[in-house]
Amino acid sequence: MKTLLICPAIRPAVPQLAEDGPLALVPILGEGLVGHWIEHLAMLGARHVQVIAADRAEQVRSTLGDGARWGVQLEVIAASLEPTLTEAAAHYRTDGEAGWLPAPNDIVLMNHLPGCPELPLFESYASWFAALLAWMPRALTPARIRASEIRPGIWVGRRAHVSPTAQLIAPCWIGDQAFVEPGAVVGPGAIIEDRSVVESDASITHSWVGPDTFVGPMTAVASSLAWGSSLTNWRSDSSLRVPDPFLMCSLAPPPAALVAAPVYRTVGAPTPAVASPLNWMAAWSEPTRRAPDSIPPT
Amino acid sequence: MKIENQGQCLSISEIPELTAVNSANFRDEVRAVLPGSPSVIEIDLSQTRFVDSSGLGALFALYRATAQRNGVILRLLNPRPEIQQLLELTQMQQLFEIVRR
Repeated sequence: MKTLLICPAIRPAVPQLAEDGPLALVPILGEGLVGHWIEHLAMLGARHVQVIAADRAEQVRSTLGDGARWGVQLEVIAASLEPTLTEAAAHYRTDGEAGWLPAPNDIVLMNHLPGCPELPLFESYASWFAALLAWMPRALTPARIRASEIRPGIWVGRRAHVSPTAQLIAPCWIGDQAFVEPGAVVGPGAIIEDRSVVESDASITHSWVGPDTFVGPMTAVASSLAWGSSLTNWRSDSSLRVPDPFLMCSLAPPPAALVAAPVYRTVGAPTPAVASPLNWMAAWSEPTRRAPDSIPPT
Repeated sequence: MKIENQGQCLSISEIPELTAVNSANFRDEVRAVLPGSPSVIEIDLSQTRFVDSSGLGALFALYRATAQRNGVILRLLNPRPEIQQLLELTQMQQLFEIVRR
């Protein structure tokens, strides 16, 4: 069975969510939005999934791969503009209705999570947060074993570290490999995504903390979306770039493209040799210079 | 930065930012006028676009200085939403009376 997923391109109401990647990949309870949809459609019997991406299609392609992870054949198609459902049907479903999943799962615009069309994700930050809270009890599917419900309304990733003196108040979600330090208060209505750190005595209430985010000691994140150093209050839509990393910052490694950029390699490579006197001393005291062919193979 | 002594009220305004660059100056200038024993200190943050931890430290130093003088009210006026967010993140909104006019 075939199906077609349309990635949301630009949504002016929620610019912070698309800052580092397309909305299709925005993390929701440990999985990207498009990942939740592919898993849902695969469980309905889809075996061939086409993903139409108008925003950063290459990033979507490299993240999803060939679909083997979900047991489907996956194809990401770059588009210049986000098509409507009608346009997508006309362009991509040219072989009739045979072999396609029945509507509405034949062509899906990912403006909401599977099974929650009444909860739009991208109309506002408040609607995004409401949709995530509603999705929390449904996020653990049979295919996802990295988290478990340790108490009613409290989900914790299997490799998460939660201090015995931290307070967890339902409903809350603590992602895989997340850290919650002593005295921290998480919940009610709190989502800590994977690999984030909530430092001692910090509190997270009615808020979403994005992946790889550090929340400093004694800080209070309330009614907000915190991701890296970006803090957005979902009630007021006010956004702040937190100026000091000890309050809040990103723990994600820098983009690979930046690290591998030629200018960095060119400038960076000789720097330790020039900067360190010990390197110069070691080079000076080298008794012999080896010919290149005398270097043993590694 | 403008400091006006209006009888019992000390009014501080026109603060474009409170950062490592100017927070020490802000703290020293305000402390210099504190011996006048104002009963109310109002810091107008309506024009303040950026505050970092040094700026928060200067506000906290002022809070401590006034806490030693019984009855002195310390108000922050009209902080921009992002400054209000920073005050809430650091829980400093509990120390000040925040007023919108």
